Amino acid sequence: MTELGLGVATLEHEPTGRTDPDAVDATLAASGDASAFERLYRTHVPKVYGLVRRMLSDDDVDEVAQDIFVRAWQKLGTFRGEAAFGTWLHRLAVNVILARRETLGTRRKRYVEGDMVLETVPSRRATPEMSMDFEAAMERLPDGAREVFVLHDVEGYRHEEIAQMLGLATGTSKSQLHRARMALRQHLER
Amino acid sequence: MTQDPWTNRLSEYLDGELPEWERHALESHLESCAECSLVVSDLRRVVRRARTLKNPPPVTDLWPGIAARIGAGIPKAQDVVDLDAQRRVRRRWAFSLPQLAAAGIALMTVSGGAVWFMSGAARQSVVSAPVPSSPPEGTPAVSVAMKPNASQSYAAAVADLERVLADGRGKLDTTTVRIIEQNLAAIDRAIAEAQRALDADSANLYLNTHLAETMRRKLDLLRQAAALVPVS
Amino acid sequence: MLFALLTGTLALSPIVQADTTLNAVRGQRLDVNAYAGEVTVHAWNRNAVRIVASGADQDQLEISSSATAISIRTHGRHGPPDEITLQISAPAWIAISMGGVNTNAKIEGIRAPISVETVEGEVDVTGGESLISLRSVQGSVRLRGAKGRINVNSVNEDVEVANSSGDIAAQTVNGEILLQGVNASSVDANTVNGDISYSGPIRSGGRYALSTHNGDLTLTVPEGTSAGVTVSTFSGDFESEFPVPLRGTRKGKGFNFTLGSGSAQVTLESFQGTIQLVRPGSEEDPARRKREHDRDHDED
Repeated sequence: MTELGLGVATLEHEPTGRTDPDAVDATLAASGDASAFERLYRTHVPKVYGLVRRMLSDDDVDEVAQDIFVRAWQKLGTFRGEAAFGTWLHRLAVNVILARRETLGTRRKRYVEGDMVLETVPSRRATPEMSMDFEAAMERLPDGAREVFVLHDVEGYRHEEIAQMLGLATGTSKSQLHRARMALRQHLER
Repeated sequence: MTQDPWTNRLSEYLDGELPEWERHALESHLESCAECSLVVSDLRRVVRRARTLKNPPPVTDLWPGIAARIGAGIPKAQDVVDLDAQRRVRRRWAFSLPQLAAAGIALMTVSGGAVWFMSGAARQSVVSAPVPSSPPEGTPAVSVAMKPNASQSYAAAVADLERVLADGRGKLDTTTVRIIEQNLAAIDRAIAEAQRALDADSANLYLNTHLAETMRRKLDLLRQAAALVPVS
Repeated sequence: MLFALLTGTLALSPIVQADTTLNAVRGQRLDVNAYAGEVTVHAWNRNAVRIVASGADQDQLEISSSATAISIRTHGRHGPPDEITLQISAPAWIAISMGGVNTNAKIEGIRAPISVETVEGEVDVTGGESLISLRSVQGSVRLRGAKGRINVNSVNEDVEVANSSGDIAAQTVNGEILLQGVNASSVDANTVNGDISYSGPIRSGGRYALSTHNGDLTLTVPEGTSAGVTVSTFSGDFESEFPVPLRGTRKGKGFNFTLGSGSAQVTLESFQGTIQLVRPGSEEDPARRKREHDRDHDED
């Protein structure tokens, strides 16, 4: 049996059949190994940062991204390995972001009905810097539509999951997604 | 301009969420509606575009801030307590007795309980019995006078129990050992975080009691774990 | 199927399956020690204990009866016993003491003291009166419909108490504590790495202490609650769905306030999580969320 010392980042190698490349570092980090956690951070920060940047329109993206990793460190003990670490981290990130929205008191009406969504994103001519325009156009979507678009089309969540996360009806999630897509189609390169 | 009634269903069509009869009807419509066909094509490209968005890392390296908040810069000897006494420097908890007394820690009971476990008097059978919170009557008890340094008593109690666990860990299921280690590490992290907070605000009653309570949780878990070690 | 009414000691030789019934007399308790397997106890209206056992034939099952206890115990010939399944029917008045290592325990309908301790198994109890103590190291602990002094403890998993009354002490390290539909005058809930939620009346003169290090606290506060509330956190947040009359502050992000006449004493502590007060039935009310979750999963 591998030498096990309490609190020391030694590892019991159990053949689990898991293919998650982060499994070893997640286990080490859960035992208090900050170096292992840093490796997880380096691996996952681009995706987490992108999620924060796209979901939040305030300026504290760095702070929120930090909050997510600090929260992940705190909650490592609850990571059971049933899903890949990246999946677990991503879900935690979404929860932190949504909680942040509530803390900021943004309980305003976020899910705009009718054609208002289309009118809030003025159409522009195609420009060579389409990548920047597309992301910039996403930023100008109303909060609710942007959240649904990011969660569904960028991050890959299903409408049922998004509805539960955002406290919506599934139908609302679908209609918001459609409106976001319709607004953004004008910012595709031609 | 009157909107085509199919327009609002195009995303659902794209995502395969229309019922079959509706999908057929829409596909028939697309054969004759150039506008809707263009929209579908555009929506596909929006989705493709979304899936290929780049994720550059943050301009500023966030790790130093994260490391500071999780205490990653503090040497391991201060963060965690190891079962192997030879490999680790024991942390001394610099509490005054009045502070700990205010927190309600029954250190004398704890110390006596630790010695009771080591004496083997607690051993019954492989099947674990409910762990009593204090030695049963008739058990040789250590006479512990009121010690002036309660932190030494706590450290001694932790050391006693860790020795029991270190000696007996080979007899425990590996999953049980891992679970106990993880949870002790979690408590150690909590203790370290509370200690750091207290270092900056030593008169804070909440932080004092919280640290004391968390230390007691560690003792409770160590005692519970020690009781799992079967009699050889 | 072997069916016998016996008193005294009955030691069975290695078994594949056994079905035994013993008379039970008031004053006896039921002691079960099964190293590994599943133990289920259901209450019935007979003054007898029926044990239906099935398991590997390497196991030896010992059943005995004395003036004070009916004992069921597994022994292995070489090393620990193999897994066994015990289905036990017992009178509702019988106190139960159960221990095991890799043992899942399920008890239903008992109206007497219950004590269960396991290492790797889960504990699921509906019922229990007077003194209820449920402990697991690696498994979750669930208690419903109990009345009395309640002590529920896990290390690595969640602890849940629902629709119960009395004094409650709930503790875990790495799990959540969910206290729902609880009518208690004394609550002490403590975890290190998990969230705590409490929903139930906050009784006049009661004492409620919820403490976590890393998790969030959610307290459901019914309208008309009378309580002095102390909130303590180091780096966490405080939120309330309704206005709270803050009166003075303490150092280190702590403060007090009073609802009504301040009759109950409520202490909410989270080192770095969010402490949240909600109203019953609100979207954030854990009881409502659980109902919706259960309903949604029932419809799957």
